[in-house]
Amino acid sequence: MPFFMLIVRNLLRQRIRSLLTALGISIGITTVVALGVVTHSVKATAAEILRAGGADFAIGQSGSSDLTFSTLTSEQLGEIEAYPGVEHAIGVLMVISPLGSNPYFVQLGIEPADLAHFEVPLLEGRALAAGATDEILLGREASRQLGKGVGDTVELRDRRFTVVGIYRTGNVWEDGGGMLPLATVQEYERKRGLMTLIYVRAKPGIDLAQLTARIEQDHPELATLRTLSDYSDVDQGMQLMDALNLAISFLAVFIGGIGVMNTMVMSVFERTREIGILRAVGWRQRRVLQMVLGESILLCVIGALIGSTLAVIFTRVILIFPVVRSFLALEYTPDVFIRGLAVGVAVALLGALYPAIRAVRLSPIQAIRYE
Amino acid sequence: MNRDRIAIDVQDVVKTYEEGRIHALNGATLQVSEGEFVAITGPSGCGKSTLLHLIGALDRPDSGRIVVNGVDLAHMRDLSHYRSHRVGLVFQLHNLLPTLSASANVQLPMYEAQLSFWERRAKAQRLLEAVGLADRAATPPTKLSGGERQRVAIARALANDPPILLADEPTGNLDSKSGQLVLDLLRRIQRERGVTLVLVTHDAQIASAAERIVRMLDGRVVDAGVAPTKAARLPAEGE
Repeated sequence: MPFFMLIVRNLLRQRIRSLLTALGISIGITTVVALGVVTHSVKATAAEILRAGGADFAIGQSGSSDLTFSTLTSEQLGEIEAYPGVEHAIGVLMVISPLGSNPYFVQLGIEPADLAHFEVPLLEGRALAAGATDEILLGREASRQLGKGVGDTVELRDRRFTVVGIYRTGNVWEDGGGMLPLATVQEYERKRGLMTLIYVRAKPGIDLAQLTARIEQDHPELATLRTLSDYSDVDQGMQLMDALNLAISFLAVFIGGIGVMNTMVMSVFERTREIGILRAVGWRQRRVLQMVLGESILLCVIGALIGSTLAVIFTRVILIFPVVRSFLALEYTPDVFIRGLAVGVAVALLGALYPAIRAVRLSPIQAIRYE
Repeated sequence: MNRDRIAIDVQDVVKTYEEGRIHALNGATLQVSEGEFVAITGPSGCGKSTLLHLIGALDRPDSGRIVVNGVDLAHMRDLSHYRSHRVGLVFQLHNLLPTLSASANVQLPMYEAQLSFWERRAKAQRLLEAVGLADRAATPPTKLSGGERQRVAIARALANDPPILLADEPTGNLDSKSGQLVLDLLRRIQRERGVTLVLVTHDAQIASAAERIVRMLDGRVVDAGVAPTKAARLPAEGE
C-alpha cells in the first residue's frame, strides 16, 4: 500500500470525526478566501479607476484617508499640465451619493471638453455638450438599473439632468455611475475649483517612472498612482481591509488549529499501541512524524478545498443583490486560493505539532503495552 | 551462517522498572550463535520477555551490554534501522494493525527498505506464500484465525530478511494444533533461511523443539543449556 494511502486509510477510520474536523477548518478557510476575493476585487476595480480614460497614471492628494476624500486644486492641475512630459491632464471630481435603488452611485465631474481626451466608449447618444450644466452620461449598468435611456431625465441632488449618452467602460464603478459637467458637480458639492483626481496621459516615449518620481519630488503633497499597490499605499480603507484580512487569517489559523489539535490528539492517543507496533517493526521517528503530519495536512487540505468551494459559492450569491453588483466585479485570482491553502497548512502544522511530538517520543515497548 | 560466530552476546544486563522498585533483569548473561535456535524458558516474571525486548531494541537496559553481530546496541545511533533490518519480532499477541489487510501488515517494515510499492507488494505476497497464506493477502486480521494471524506476524517479521528472529510466546494464545503449526513454521524458516531464532516460552513442550534451552529465574540466566554437537544439529531425513 502506498504511504499516502495509509494516511488516507487512517483518516477514514473515523469518518465522521474527520469530516467534522474538515468542515470546522473549512469555515475559517471560507472566511479567509471570501474576504480575500472581495478585497482583491474591490482593489482591482479601484485600480482600474486609476487608469480610467486611457490615462497612464492618476494623481491624488497624498495622505488622504480615502481616495474619494482627496482634494486637488485647479492650480495644481495647471502645474501638472505644464510638465513637458505630460500630453494631457484631466481633473475629475468624484462623488458618491444615492440614486434610485443604488446607494453608491458614482458621479464623475469632468470638463465636457476633456471628454475628447478621456476615452469613454459611448454605446448610444453623444458626449456632454460644451457649456452644458444639466446633462449626464449614464453608465450601461446604471441605465439598466434606473430604466433610463437617451432623452430621459434623472433627478440627482434635487436637480434634473437629461441623459444624453450611454457608455460602457467595463469598470463596475464607472458603468454603475454617471459623468456630469465638472462645474455642475463642483457646484452641488460646494467644491468650486476642487477635484479628486488628475488623470495624466504622458507623451509617447516618456519614462513614466521618472515622470511620476519628478512630480512627487516637486509636489510632496501629491501622490502618483499607477498600480494597485500605489492605491493601497494612499488609501487607508484598503489598508484597513488588508489588516482585517490578516487578522481573520490569524484567527482562522488559531481556531482551526485548536480543532485539528483536538482531533489529532484523540487520534494519536487512540493509536498509541499501533504507533508502538510501527516503531517496533522499524519505523523511524521521521516516518511516524510524516504519518501524523500527513494526516493533519490532508485533513486541512480537504477543509481548504471545501472552504474555497464555499467561498466561491458565497461570493457568487452576494452578487444577487444589485447594490453589491454596482460596486463589486468579482475576480478570482490564484493567490487568494493559495492563501486559503496556506492557512489550511498552517492550521495543520499548528494542530499536529503536539500530537506528532508525542507520537515520535513514544517508547516502542511502552506504546505496545498501552491499553 | 557460521555457527562458531556469536550472533547475540548479552553481558550482565540489568533492567528495572518503576524507578528501580521492580527488577526485571538482574545481570542476565547469554550468548547465541549464528543460526542457532534457542528457547528461553522460565516462570512468569522471570524476565525472559524483557530480555527478548532488549535484544530487539524495543527498550534500553539500565546497565550491561548487548552486542548483536558484533555491534553494541548502546552505540547504535539508529535503532529503527536495527529493528527493521537486523531483527524480526513476533509477539504473543500478533500485534497486527486491524484496519490493514494481511499483505499491508507484512509490508509495514518494508517502508524503511527503499522498496517501491510494487516491490513491497510482490515481496509481501511471496512471504505470505511462504507461511501458507497466499490466498489470504487481502484479508484483514480480524477475519483471520489466531494461527493465521500469527503466521502473518511471522511473515511481517521476515519482511526485510533479518538474520535474527525473536519470538515472544508466539504460541501462547493459540490452541495446541495451531501452536504446533506456528512452531513448525518457525523451525522451517530457521533451517531454510539460516536465521538465528530466539523463542521465549513457558511451555516445556514448545521449548523442547529448540536446539538449546535457556532457563531464567529472577532476572538471571540460571542455565544456559548445552549447544548440540555439529552432528546432532543435522536434521533427520524427512524432518
